[in-house]
Amino acid sequence: MAAALEVDGVVARYGERTILDGVSMTVQPGEVRVILGGSGCGKSTLLKCCVGLKPPDAGRARMLGQELTTLSERDQRSLLTRVGVLFQYGALLGSITIGENVALPLREHTDLPPDVIAEIVRLKLAQVELGHAEHLLPSELSGGMRKRAALARATALDPDLLFCDEPGAGLDPLTSAELDELLLRLRDRFGMAIVVVTHELLSIHKITDKALMLSQGKVIADGTLDEVKATPHPEVRAFFDRLAAGEMRGPPSALDVLRGPAPGRPPAARPGRQA
Amino acid sequence: MADLARIQLDAAADGHVLRLGGELRRAAVRPLERAIRQASPRAGRALFLDLSQVSGMDSAVVASLIGAWRRAQVAGGQVTLGPMSQAAERSLAMFRVAVEPPAAPAPAGAVEALGGTAYGVRDAFWEFLQLAADATFAVGAALTRRAPLRLGAITQQAIDIGSRALGIVGLITFLVGLTVAFQSAYQLQQFGAAIYVANLTGVSMVREMAPLMCAILVAGRSGSSIAAEIATMKVSEEVDALTVMGLDPMQFLAVPRLIAITCMVPLLTALADLLGILGGFLVGVFYLDIAGEAFINQMLSSMVPWDLVSGLIKSVVFAWGIGLIGLYYGFKVRGGASEVGRMTTASVVASIFYIIVADCVFSVLFYVVL
Repeated sequence: MAAALEVDGVVARYGERTILDGVSMTVQPGEVRVILGGSGCGKSTLLKCCVGLKPPDAGRARMLGQELTTLSERDQRSLLTRVGVLFQYGALLGSITIGENVALPLREHTDLPPDVIAEIVRLKLAQVELGHAEHLLPSELSGGMRKRAALARATALDPDLLFCDEPGAGLDPLTSAELDELLLRLRDRFGMAIVVVTHELLSIHKITDKALMLSQGKVIADGTLDEVKATPHPEVRAFFDRLAAGEMRGPPSALDVLRGPAPGRPPAARPGRQA
Repeated sequence: MADLARIQLDAAADGHVLRLGGELRRAAVRPLERAIRQASPRAGRALFLDLSQVSGMDSAVVASLIGAWRRAQVAGGQVTLGPMSQAAERSLAMFRVAVEPPAAPAPAGAVEALGGTAYGVRDAFWEFLQLAADATFAVGAALTRRAPLRLGAITQQAIDIGSRALGIVGLITFLVGLTVAFQSAYQLQQFGAAIYVANLTGVSMVREMAPLMCAILVAGRSGSSIAAEIATMKVSEEVDALTVMGLDPMQFLAVPRLIAITCMVPLLTALADLLGILGGFLVGVFYLDIAGEAFINQMLSSMVPWDLVSGLIKSVVFAWGIGLIGLYYGFKVRGGASEVGRMTTASVVASIFYIIVADCVFSVLFYVVL
């Protein structure tokens, strides 16, 4: 079966700064692929490159066998109907109700009769346990509810590929775990390929089929969670074993500085001009 | 019991010994700095730190010691760590020191800043033209039915931009009409030509004041709200969400607003024409004692249909520009919520500037060229 997502040597720059530097990965249907990495390592940018919000400066990203940027506007639209994106803060349209948000992709991209759409909306909302919230505005919901509603919208068209940008961010562990379970159900029942950007260890252990770890725009580990954990790269070690993180790198402590270079060793580089 | 901070500086053979003790907190930094400066380790001299009596140090105290070390490095002196308590060791080990702190970027010089601004304006103008072209094509596509024409959204926007502005536009232009009539009457009465108040009010309202006041009000009411609304959507990733749902933000957000504002402003201007004239009429009838019929006849005889048409043409051009400027500042926003406010303000300032400049161009065009 063709890969759900193929990323091939993607380079992304913002002005002078290179955010992604030749990232490649594949995601198979029915697989939860977790993208790991510290803040600012390019996780979210990779996601943006995949869905076409930031066209890659080099390399290619193919969703469901098609490269978005090369398609006609019409084909782009039809490809995007097979892809769902759950944004970090939900990104529900604030001026319309939850139900209308979920109905939006259905109304715009299908010619289903309105009563069928209304029924789908109720199904999708019930699936994320928000059946009661159909007529509320996004601002009337809590953060976790908003994210679940956004998931209902992202899956409204039963996509084959779902992207989630930090689904657990800003949620309490319980809500976050519920959201994780929901993602796993979607994978199991619909064979959805799911790409999740996150750095929450709890949820990583729960949902990962395969992981990809980024550091400074490069892939430093790729494979199953156990394979990734076994990678000797110091940042991978630091990520999974926080105890090691402090000693890994970083400037010297005040103690080291005041103690000065150990006797017998050449003095370290000194700041400022020498008198 | 609180362990009071103790700072004691003693002279030694090749420098000083600084003995610190007790619980050293922010408040101890000033006396500590005084002692360090007094010792001022330079070439050949050392500052020997005895921290054996320290029961705690906060970040300010550690920073002060690191500062002493840095200055000593530059002056070729030495700061030497002597005996220390466990608490002191823990505090010092906790903080990391940037041995070579990054240099703050040098502030741009006047010429550089001027050049930067000029390039900024050039780029912004270019971006604006691109957006204007995109939006215009999008409206074209919607009107020729190559893209869906969202009548619901257009109606919603038209209500926001048009109906909800009726009251304020009507009131303001009525007052402006009143004022224009009073001001001109004051002069014209001196020549016994009070009847010409009708000419003045009619022509100035229809050709100039109504389109201008109306555009400025709409810029403040709706231009700003277009910018704020889209900027907020952009900041909260709603625009991105639309894009990945395969809904073109231009079609979805820009087109209904542009169509609505372009239809509503001329209508508001027509209302403004009427109410402005009504203001002048009331002054004429009740203050100048001109017969109502005479006032209206005089006014109509002084006006040609082109006066009305030119005013409405202006209002369409104003509206289009206000819409585009609002959209431009909305889509331009980067970063957080504070940017939304800044962009909203900028959109109003730019809109009003645009209205005045465009009005000026129209005046030249209509009076001089045509």
